[in-house]
Amino acid sequence: MSAAHDMLCDTARAVFAEAATAGIAPVEEAGFGLLLVPEEDGGFGGDWGDANAVLQIAGVVVPDLPVAELIAGEAYQPAATVSLMAGAMGQALVLSIEHVNTRQQFGRPLGKFQAVQQSLAVMACEVRAVEAAAAALATRLDAMSLDPSAADFEIAAAKLRANRAVGVVTAIAHQVHGAIGFTEEYDLHRVTVPLMRWRGAHGNDAYWAARLGRQVATLGGRGLWEAMTARGA
Amino acid sequence: MQGFALYPFDPPGDIAALRADLRAWLAVNQPQGDVVARANCWASFDPDFSRALGAAGYIGMTLPAQYGGGDQHPLERYVVIEELLAAGAPVGAHWIADRQTGPLILRYGSEEQRQRYLPGIAAGELYACIGLSEPGAGSDLAAVRTTARETAEGWRINGQKIWTTGAHFSHIMLALVRTEEGSERNAGLSQLLIDLDTPGITIRPIIDMAGHHDFNEVFFDDVLVPHGALVGERGQGWKQVTAELGLERSGPERYLSSHALLVALIDAAGAEPDPAIAALIGELTAEMWTLRQLSMSTAAKLAAGEDPMVEASVVKELGNAFEQDMPRRVQAIVTGGWDDEDDLAKLLRALLIASPSFSLRGGTREVIRGIIARGLGLR
Ligand SMILES: Cc1cc2nc3c(=O)[nH]c(=O)nc-3n(C[C@H](O)[C@H](O)[C@H](O)COP(=O)(O)OP(=O)(O)OC[C@H]3O[C@@H](n4cnc5c(N)ncnc54)[C@H](O)[C@@H]3O)c2cc1C
Repeated sequence: MSAAHDMLCDTARAVFAEAATAGIAPVEEAGFGLLLVPEEDGGFGGDWGDANAVLQIAGVVVPDLPVAELIAGEAYQPAATVSLMAGAMGQALVLSIEHVNTRQQFGRPLGKFQAVQQSLAVMACEVRAVEAAAAALATRLDAMSLDPSAADFEIAAAKLRANRAVGVVTAIAHQVHGAIGFTEEYDLHRVTVPLMRWRGAHGNDAYWAARLGRQVATLGGRGLWEAMTARGA
Repeated sequence: MQGFALYPFDPPGDIAALRADLRAWLAVNQPQGDVVARANCWASFDPDFSRALGAAGYIGMTLPAQYGGGDQHPLERYVVIEELLAAGAPVGAHWIADRQTGPLILRYGSEEQRQRYLPGIAAGELYACIGLSEPGAGSDLAAVRTTARETAEGWRINGQKIWTTGAHFSHIMLALVRTEEGSERNAGLSQLLIDLDTPGITIRPIIDMAGHHDFNEVFFDDVLVPHGALVGERGQGWKQVTAELGLERSGPERYLSSHALLVALIDAAGAEPDPAIAALIGELTAEMWTLRQLSMSTAAKLAAGEDPMVEASVVKELGNAFEQDMPRRVQAIVTGGWDDEDDLAKLLRALLIASPSFSLRGGTREVIRGIIARGLGLR
């Protein structure tokens, strides 16, 4: 990640907050289109670690704006979507924890009930898995100088894993919220509806499972392990 | 638990060479007999293999050289154990001693204990078991009732442990016992390192539902062990055990127990697999790849001296679900009879039967989820 990473994230938060009402213009004006352009070409010189962080923020604050398309081309959209999803899932978890710690029933906060605790633990595991997948994919893309074809395995694995987490994460987030989470007024749908959309965008589960499965079949059982370890650590 | 980033897995040294050397060594030394031994292979007991592995320098890798260890980095050891598990090597005899008893003796043990036990552990010759569970203390480990009273001659132990994996072939048990009379719950507990040939110890097999003799009941009837059997601080057993469980929960064994089945599935499917099987292979691969990232980053955090209690629990929860679901998902789509004798069928049968234990051993699913919930600030 670039040295200016923290500043970049702060800027993204501020600019995206403005864009949430003003539309994509402030994001364009702030130069996010130059994030991955090398410094010598007048760009920011960021890497995919930076893009991952920025897109996670976008996934929470401006899920309906084309930030991913502004930052990277078509070949990167599956990877970018994983980052958006990781961000949105993290936010769904934050909202859920806040809610169960605040809302009281039977004289206690909901979060004190073991059934609720166990559900949120399941959800947190899915969120961590997707965050890890997004981070590992970024590591691979950066190690391969942003060549998406050299990260085909990781893109497929990460997008498929993220897709599969959507069902669990949205279901539990809504369940622990009760009716309030089903309202237009409350913010939960601002992350759960985009998650439902992103699952089907840039390759649904069946698409990536078939593709990854066929790729692995050509490697053979032992070959899968050898290929996986050769690609990272 | 917010703001999760991948802790970089960055072992020193030439990792590609470490893998290549180990693979070449396994090609010569891994027993080729029974394919079922490759399933859940950290429960496959083969002392000859353990001795050879120890002689080759792959056990006790992180222990100091003065105790027979390899002075290597914990992440080099991580690479070695994930390779052994992915290959389905029979590492069960030395597994517990290498994974937790050795490191615990190094951290909390006396100099005498280190000299006495660590070289044998590193050689793959001295095996250990974990004496935590009792009939009345399962998930509620603080209910431990086995007592050790300090006398002039040493500690006198009375009580019973249960589900003790490998007690019948182990040389030592690291036991959690109540040393303070009248103490309750997690106060007043201590860890004792007990030589299992001490008079008064009775070990009885418990046959598991697969027909295997892996775990045991262990009875202590006025067993006298020396004062020097105490590990670490008297009364600090709970704290030490909690640290030990951290070592136990996030390793690659928490998601690779069924790996041999994935290998067999891919090989049986061939280069042009049926679409349903290809899709399953894709899903399992995505899950495994993700788990490997989580496990490696947790190991890196542990190696950096931090306490990734919650991350370790996430690895165990997701990893156990993965390795437990895999045989069920495979059975749902491959055709074949229960009694078929091809590798895939044999592994499938063995893992369907073994897999209920995956989310029990090392802390049940519900206990693990409780730890995660505490990390989320809910308890
Ligand atoms: C293959 C295998 C190997 C093992 N090896 C060892 C070993 O070497 N050494 C050792 O000491 N132990 C060992 N164990 C024991 C293991 O640690 C225990 O099985 C485990 O801690 C659970 O205890 P229990 O079996 O008494 O179940 P219980 O504690 O009786 O639990 C039964 C069920 O109730 C649930 N439950 C219990 N309390 C709660 C609660 N408060 N809230 C919600 N749910 C709850 C549990 O999650 C579980 O689903 C082994 C177990 C197995 C299966």
